[in-house]
Amino acid sequence: MKETRFNIIKIILATSFFAFFYSCTQTQKISGELEQIDYTAIQKKAENFVPKIGTYGGEIILSSFSDPKSFNPITSTEVTTSEFTSYMYEGLIKINPVTLKPEPGLAEKWEVSNDGLTWIFYIRKNVFWSDSTPFSAYDVEFTFNSLVLNDSINPNSSRDMFVIEGKKPKVSIIDSMTVKFVLPIPFAPFLRAMAQEILPKHKYEKYVKSGNFSNSLGIQTPPDSMVGTGPFLLESFISSQKVTFRRNPLYWQKDSAGNRLPYLSRVIYLIVLDQNAELLRFKRGEIDYLRAKGEDYPTLKKDETKGNYTVYRLGPTSGSYFIIFNQNTSIDPKTKKPYVDFVKQSWFRNPKFRKAVAHALDKESMIRIVMNGLGYPQWGPMSPSEGFFYNPNVEKYPYDITKAKQLLAEAGFSDKNGDGFIEDSAGNTVEFSFYTNSGNIERGKLAEIARKDMEQLGFKVHFQLLEFNSLIQKIDNPPYAWDAIMLGLTGGVEPHFGKNVWHSTGTLHMWFPRQKAPSTLWEARIDTIFDTAVKILDENKRKTLYDEWQKIAADQLPLIYTVLKEQIFCISNRFGNINPSPNGGILHNLERIYVSSKNKN
Amino acid sequence: MRDDLIRRTLLLVPQLLIVTFITFLFINLAPGDILAKYRFDPRISQESIKKLEQKYHFDKPAIVQYGYWLIRLCHFDLGYSFSREADVTTVISERIGNTLLMSSFAILFTWLIALPLGIFAAVKQYSWGDRILSLISYFGMSLPGFFLALLLMFFIYSFSNIPFLGAIPIGGMVSPNHDQLSLIGKICDYALHLILPVLVLTATALAGLQRITRGNMLEELRKQYIVTARAKGLPENQVIYKHALKNAINPLITLFGFSLSELLSGAALLEIIINWPGLGSLMLEAVRSQDTFLVMGIMLMGGIMLIIGNLIADLLLVIVDPRVRS
Amino acid sequence: MMLFETRLLKKLKKHPLAIIGIVILCFFYLIMIFAEFIAPYDFDNGKRDYSYAPPTKIHFFHENKFTFPPVIYPYSYTFNQYAERIYLEDISKPYKLSIFTKGDRVKLFGIIPINRHLFGVKGNPDNCRLYLLGSDAVGRDLFSRIVYGSRVSLTIGFLGVAITFLLGFLVGGISGYYGGKIDSVLMRFAECFMLVPSFFLLLALRSAFPPKLSSIQVYFLIIIILSFIEWAGFARIIRGMSLTITKQDFVKAAKSIGASDLRIIILHILPQTLSYAIVAATLSIPHYILGESALSLIGLGIQEPQASWGNLLSVAMNVSDIQYHPWILIPGIFIFLTVMAFNFLGDALRDAADPNK
Repeated sequence: MKETRFNIIKIILATSFFAFFYSCTQTQKISGELEQIDYTAIQKKAENFVPKIGTYGGEIILSSFSDPKSFNPITSTEVTTSEFTSYMYEGLIKINPVTLKPEPGLAEKWEVSNDGLTWIFYIRKNVFWSDSTPFSAYDVEFTFNSLVLNDSINPNSSRDMFVIEGKKPKVSIIDSMTVKFVLPIPFAPFLRAMAQEILPKHKYEKYVKSGNFSNSLGIQTPPDSMVGTGPFLLESFISSQKVTFRRNPLYWQKDSAGNRLPYLSRVIYLIVLDQNAELLRFKRGEIDYLRAKGEDYPTLKKDETKGNYTVYRLGPTSGSYFIIFNQNTSIDPKTKKPYVDFVKQSWFRNPKFRKAVAHALDKESMIRIVMNGLGYPQWGPMSPSEGFFYNPNVEKYPYDITKAKQLLAEAGFSDKNGDGFIEDSAGNTVEFSFYTNSGNIERGKLAEIARKDMEQLGFKVHFQLLEFNSLIQKIDNPPYAWDAIMLGLTGGVEPHFGKNVWHSTGTLHMWFPRQKAPSTLWEARIDTIFDTAVKILDENKRKTLYDEWQKIAADQLPLIYTVLKEQIFCISNRFGNINPSPNGGILHNLERIYVSSKNKN
Repeated sequence: MRDDLIRRTLLLVPQLLIVTFITFLFINLAPGDILAKYRFDPRISQESIKKLEQKYHFDKPAIVQYGYWLIRLCHFDLGYSFSREADVTTVISERIGNTLLMSSFAILFTWLIALPLGIFAAVKQYSWGDRILSLISYFGMSLPGFFLALLLMFFIYSFSNIPFLGAIPIGGMVSPNHDQLSLIGKICDYALHLILPVLVLTATALAGLQRITRGNMLEELRKQYIVTARAKGLPENQVIYKHALKNAINPLITLFGFSLSELLSGAALLEIIINWPGLGSLMLEAVRSQDTFLVMGIMLMGGIMLIIGNLIADLLLVIVDPRVRS
Repeated sequence: MMLFETRLLKKLKKHPLAIIGIVILCFFYLIMIFAEFIAPYDFDNGKRDYSYAPPTKIHFFHENKFTFPPVIYPYSYTFNQYAERIYLEDISKPYKLSIFTKGDRVKLFGIIPINRHLFGVKGNPDNCRLYLLGSDAVGRDLFSRIVYGSRVSLTIGFLGVAITFLLGFLVGGISGYYGGKIDSVLMRFAECFMLVPSFFLLLALRSAFPPKLSSIQVYFLIIIILSFIEWAGFARIIRGMSLTITKQDFVKAAKSIGASDLRIIILHILPQTLSYAIVAATLSIPHYILGESALSLIGLGIQEPQASWGNLLSVAMNVSDIQYHPWILIPGIFIFLTVMAFNFLGDALRDAADPNK
């Protein structure tokens, strides 16, 4: 009897449990449709933006996923460090984040000879280092000759950009406010490359002389010893917790009323290891800015008014995300066998095979399922947000399983023995491994969909998540033990800076790195394009060549492109002078952002 | 009694080593190259790799390698963690405190709550309260800790609008602005972050302990000497607390030793789920990168924590129960 | 002295919870055995239009008329202005549900090809699916995956217990029978395995193998590792009882006729321990289930696309995901119910086996 009462309680509890779950599954009523954003209009508005005069004071709290490994812009190769050093150090040129064009930075003007080889930069007057030492041409000469072009400093990411066909430019002083660069051959990206950060000679000359430069500007270096010309300086760094920057009172840029920028007193980065925690903290107001994923958009957008922030959608990100197949034909000198066995080579090196895969990728589903509809299909190596050189007229591969199977049949693939998997013309079952990096949930989901798509074609796919570094090791080094990998690359405005990927001798030419001679005609053509276009100074002529490159890439598909996510930025409404731009995001003018006493414009 | 304790404690060392030996053999017999990631890193020269091989004797058979591991152990050197690029001892010492923090609070709360509840249930047997507690205990014992954690995270996340509920963090050990807080602030910060894990661990351990306390108390209360005490006119409070409880506690403390293993296991899994920087999450990273020395080190630490816990339980037993002393 | 079985039945009547436990287990095991028949869809058959679809609504009324069998409508989803998924039912296209319908072609037990399933949508249309418990990210039926997942979660206990039984019986029986030095050594050896918390030992042994193995390899690896961890406790229990039983007269009698030690242990002593052994086994099965669930949850167990209740829950670790799709947590309820059922049953068995009660 008591047991029955007991059981009744249990039944009630169980039912309420299930009722709760089912209540969560009520289909919501439609209240609207996903807004169509007019990106051209946003871009125009961004270009015509006139900043207001701001008020001094306040701080902005941002977040970062990892600790910086150093604060040295010359030796560091990682993105976190570059973000931080860009606050402290500037270059002769500044790339306008909205228009993506080069503008005067620490140089107020420049001249170039007709042959494009001699450049003269006139240093801006009245610029001081944060320790009051005047900025001069000596700092520029020091940075280039003793740091960037110095072979004994390693690693040195800057050097690669300035060594052209094995030769270095000659950098010399004309007077304390004028520097001369003489290039060995015409180099179109040179002006862009002059965004290179300049370091103070008076602080670092002695480190270079003692051979210790690679260790300076590390995470142990006391912040007050760091001297820069930029708007913010490092104030403190607590590992795994926080990086704080303070306003540079001697910064040279002024607003239209003559007030010295920046307005903000501090820029604080919180090191956040957990993406969920980051989102919650932003919604509670503990962080002011968030770069969000598509799947978080609904919860962020809904609480815009309550949380007193604004969510901006700013078009496709830069960069690319793709599937690569291993097309390496070289032989392992130790075993005398090819790294990639001949059977697999015959599949992966067949363009029809790759095109079939391209047609089999269900990009729509990837965007809808993984990004909540906030993404774009990608067809070529550049993204629309990368500006001038982007070529939208490349071959597209709509989702078409029939066409894919047809292409495979033309190439001799079919299911000869009825086991559900297809074999090549020699009877080998198409079976291969497919890797992507672990630790990124979004990528894992995209890869799952891609795997299923490839299995639809009859391939036997062995999918595995590998740790990021292990994956890179496999791609970069013999024995190149991989078949297919899904990976991404960061992008850029200047195609030439991707040379390492596209030139057949490149170390990042992932499908077949460091070739002694181009293994295909189209790779040879791309080599020629990159070798030629870099020397042409006429931007339009360059564009014609790079347009052709993008067409070849989309046609031959060494990298089979997938999708680009939408840039989603959220920022607290406390701030003024926010200028959202598809090319630059919303923090590109951090030196002009201020804490406004009213809410929003 | 004392001799027995000493003899058992001395035995613990070789016993623990046997487990480590078997595990070491297992790991070494299986495929995998601990130095793989170094071999393919162009920045690291062949000489450096050879030096590492020699230092840790990777070329020798497993038994010899274990021997070297033992010798290093005598110097308190647990080897080098290749995945974290630091000494294993350093890596573990950064994290072990956090695990102990969470586990200690869980044990504290479990006992603080389970004992009174068990006594209440025994004293008020068959009452509504007892029935409900019994029901909850059955649930609690069967509810997997990780599932409860997921459920709680879900609830807190969904109802993050409610002021107090929303303040409970669902991951990590400290807030980003932790070092800016005053001492009181820091303590509160830890406390807030401890709410979720301690709640989960306590809930799962509580159930079993509460039931057994109840069972033991019931048995004691039935015994002859209790009847005598009551007949003598002793107040009920004294009967329950001074007499019955003291005897009922003995088997509980023994049980504490057994349940400690489950608690530490539960804590380790929980750390992974809520991103708590302790030994559990460290172990997962070590397994993912097949970092043998780190894995062995953490396993050893787990064993040592359990042994120390059991020793404490034994000592408590000696203190509480005079019968044991003789 | 009553037979164990008779005692058992009497006790069970007093333990309504145990009966509930048995019912739940029978139900689950039945589902597990006939998984391919009961699950309306194959475990990897997903329809992307049904990505994260909520549980399908079953309608007994179509166009205001009562219909039997009930109907369901095809689902599709679109995004509202917050990029939230809005699921729409196309009420112009009703599809009837039916019992014993034609469905996906699968192989019962992996050998017998069938294409009829217990229930489903009449005609097995691809665009209109019955997802009783909703679907996952790529549109696969959660109910079907839970049914297939039960194969792993429910069998791992038995297979593991079988190995534990073997080791535990042998070591425990021998130890208790011989006593003295052999007993000491064997028991100290067994205790070694109880010195390290189970999760730590589990992960340490798992680290011997690469993180990503094929599901079959992982399945057997988990069984082996978990048996490794559980056998010691079991051996000690058997040893305890073996010690007592050895002292009894009939054992001395057997020895005097000249029966070999091994024969005595296996034929005379161990059968006496059977009742306790069954109790211990029943109560330890949950450890195997939880062990596999924990490993799969953190990604070191059963891999996609195979399903196990543990790996179905691993998506729930992403909190923002489950806010919108809470049905992802349901596999956890299955784990909970199974563990609870075994605990109820084990409790009742323990009471039955205890001659004092």
